[in-house]
Amino acid sequence: MILIDKLCYRSGLRYVNATEKFVYAVLSLVFCVVSGSVAVAVPVFLINGILTVGKGKIPLSRYIRLLQIPAAFLILGTAAILINISEVPMDAFAFPIGKWYITGSVESVIRVCRLCITALSAVSCLYFLSLNTTMTDILGVLRKLHLPDLLIELMMLIYRFIFLLLETASAITTAQESRLGNRDYRTRIRSFGAMASALFVQALKRSNMLYDAMESRCYDGTIRVLPQEQPARKKEIIWIAVYEILLLLITIWSIIE
Amino acid sequence: MTKKETILLKASVAIAALSAVAPVSNAMHIMEGYLPAGYCIAWGAICLPFLIAGFISLKNKIRENRRNMTLIAMAGAFIFVISSLKIPSVTGSCSHMTGTGLGAILLGPAAVSVLGIIVLVFQAVLLAHGGLTTLGANTFSMAVAGPLVSFGLYKLCGKLKVNRRVSVFLAAFLGDLFTYCVTSIQLALAYPSEAGGVVASVLKFLGVFAPTQLPLAVIEGILTVVIVIGLEAYAAPELKSIGFLKQKEAR
Repeated sequence: MILIDKLCYRSGLRYVNATEKFVYAVLSLVFCVVSGSVAVAVPVFLINGILTVGKGKIPLSRYIRLLQIPAAFLILGTAAILINISEVPMDAFAFPIGKWYITGSVESVIRVCRLCITALSAVSCLYFLSLNTTMTDILGVLRKLHLPDLLIELMMLIYRFIFLLLETASAITTAQESRLGNRDYRTRIRSFGAMASALFVQALKRSNMLYDAMESRCYDGTIRVLPQEQPARKKEIIWIAVYEILLLLITIWSIIE
Repeated sequence: MTKKETILLKASVAIAALSAVAPVSNAMHIMEGYLPAGYCIAWGAICLPFLIAGFISLKNKIRENRRNMTLIAMAGAFIFVISSLKIPSVTGSCSHMTGTGLGAILLGPAAVSVLGIIVLVFQAVLLAHGGLTTLGANTFSMAVAGPLVSFGLYKLCGKLKVNRRVSVFLAAFLGDLFTYCVTSIQLALAYPSEAGGVVASVLKFLGVFAPTQLPLAVIEGILTVVIVIGLEAYAAPELKSIGFLKQKEAR
């Protein structure tokens, strides 16, 4: 149902210790954003790509298509930063419109290029995490970080319910479409509304049923699950530590520069 | 080729290019890595009081009745699913609702702030909409500011005895618009324009995202009304149980 979720369950790195992967992805992400420099972003992007596609065995074409998801935002946002409308032309480019110019400066072109590279590289960190770590493993790491139990339990339940509701929604949509529920725009809107309200009723009913089931199995306010822990390997920890220290040094260097 | 044909061809190429540029018009999630580190932390800090207030209110609700636990989780999943489904759009591009306006009307802004941040985490990890570093900024615009406006307007319209459908439309529509304005301001603060500073930059971001966001806000408003009508017809007892309908109002 959800592509990224499906892919991460058959990733080659799925059974690597989740804390390692989480620390690796988050630290790289932080260094990427804090430094905002190409010297950090390019190696991070490449290494994430190699790890996800080479080790994780995520098909390259899929990976590239996933990287295009934020493209719309990237293009629009970048255009807004780059383009100025002013009476004075700037040094990079200037198209006159009457008295005014659509214009931009060399400095902002450089800044925008750097921003795009940083952003793409940050996205690759996010993908490393989400394409190689299952949501339940991520929740296990968050539990170790001592997030409030209530929050973790809510997330666990919501993650489970998402698939239940998506399945119900797609069944309802199929039924509507087979009965000309998307004949024209008006019907499409009405069908969507009907689907959503039916979904809400279903959701409430299911939540009651689930609570009954949980209570009949001695639910006392906490949900206890057995985490499936993969041992951390010394070699991997050392590699990650070396890599992150290198990134840290480049980050410090780029800030001083 | 005649002159008319050339014009037609040019127009079709232009339309194709436009639709290629905006294949997905999401609710405006700021993408991963797009904000400088300082702004990420600042927006996160601004969200904290709202999140803590929401967390405490959820905790009290669950202490009141443990059954609310699964109910709240279901509501969160509902917001996620509604925001991840393709909605019918005029241009044929695939767009999504935010769903937080509906959530705020049904559940109140406090619950939506916490559910909103959870939904945003799932959207970032499972759908790659938004990101982890921009979580604070996105939470503020989508889970705090938008729902607060929606809820406030809905209550205000209730006080002024405006027709419920009109007030639901206004709440969802303006909540969505407000989210879009807040996001533009967030982006502009991080990237002020060289000619004209922050204000010019706000206008630029508003202008660039307007073609996708304005129709989306209208559709979100209409859909929310249609959903609420459906709920009133089929789910009066359930709506009473979550406190949306007063006992006497329900048929």
